[in-house]
Amino acid sequence: MISTPSRTVVDELALRHLDAAYNLGRWLLGSEQDAADAVHDAYLRAARACDTYAGGNARAWWLAIVRNCCLARLAVRSKDTRNVAIDGDPAAAERWLPHTGADDIEERLDSSRRTQQIDVQLQRLPVVYREVLILREIEELSYREIADVLETPMGTVMSRLARGRALLQKALTEDGTTGAPHGL
Amino acid sequence: MDCKTASDLLPLYFDGELDRATSREFEAHLDECASCQAALIELDALRQSLRHEAARYKAPQALRTRIERAAAAPVAARALQNRVRWLALAASWVLAFVAGGFTLEAWNHGSASVSEESQLTRDLFASHWRALAAAAPIDVVSTDQHTVKPWFAGRIAVSPTVRDYADQGYALIGGRIDYVGSERVPVLVYRHGKHLIDVFVLPPAVVPAGTAPVRQQGYVLERASMGGQAVAMVSDMDETELTRFRDLVDASSRGE
Repeated sequence: MISTPSRTVVDELALRHLDAAYNLGRWLLGSEQDAADAVHDAYLRAARACDTYAGGNARAWWLAIVRNCCLARLAVRSKDTRNVAIDGDPAAAERWLPHTGADDIEERLDSSRRTQQIDVQLQRLPVVYREVLILREIEELSYREIADVLETPMGTVMSRLARGRALLQKALTEDGTTGAPHGL
Repeated sequence: MDCKTASDLLPLYFDGELDRATSREFEAHLDECASCQAALIELDALRQSLRHEAARYKAPQALRTRIERAAAAPVAARALQNRVRWLALAASWVLAFVAGGFTLEAWNHGSASVSEESQLTRDLFASHWRALAAAAPIDVVSTDQHTVKPWFAGRIAVSPTVRDYADQGYALIGGRIDYVGSERVPVLVYRHGKHLIDVFVLPPAVVPAGTAPVRQQGYVLERASMGGQAVAMVSDMDETELTRFRDLVDASSRGE
């Protein structure tokens, strides 16, 4: 077996940040199988594309590849929207059901319900806002790292983060207040 | 600080991206402003929700096994030039976890206080990045060294020697006060083309031992002596450019 130093580094990098990669993929694609496949694609691409690494933050470089693989899958999927995978998880199924602000009023304070609300509302956000919230709030990347993952200027990161937070806050507020008038 | 500025800075403060001097100013405003307090509490509530209630999906074991299996498969040996680049990545990667998420490509081995040294290095880089992320990287905007020097004198114990190198292409554009460790230090800001250079005037207690440039995430740190005081420079210019500036500063100091 031949093992080059470069290969070892990519292997360790991918395995060390496998949870972060899978979590990002899972939130971008909404399906376990697609997320796993996208991460696998990303690993193969990373192992081949050593020369695209131009210094800087290794985790950001790896997550940038993962994100690109996810977006490629999303693009394919949107061409063929009839094949939407509804996996076994109720949050995913709920996305495709008509939504009213009056579901399960008695369960509103139930924490599992609250968790589901966050999941649903986060899934509803456009991808550009969802990904930046996941990277900042859940993976705790700095602005600079997020800018590297998204391959955008830091100013773009800041504006998307602000917009994403505002949208999610608004969605959760509307979701949490029963019978609140919409369209504020 | 007025409320408009504060609300612009609020997310930066919340995300830990402000330099400490600006953070202090922001906190002073926060103490007196109920609407900024409410906005901050709302951001924090959202973060707590996301961290504790949104799922952080763990990679399934099957995926881990898949990647491990793929990793064990032989690959064609790569060209030697890639190896050098990857060795640098390897070093930065190993250090990234030592340094808690920073990729620190410090090649200054053999220093007795490596950890202190790298802490200082991290502080300097972090200050530079926060300043770039803040609305303005400069507290006092002036191209006149005779304005900048007294500005510091009124706010900080040390009044640094301030020089302008505009004739050589590195124009003084102002200064700010920032923190290195717990020390307040003067920072002189220069512009070269589109690049900003932060020159930290270091207190005698934290003069670094190493002399080699340090690279991190495309930024370079160099040390020099300006008018007899130890300084550290951080910029995103390429290394040769920053070295040219360092040599210029060193030479002008010796010429005194």
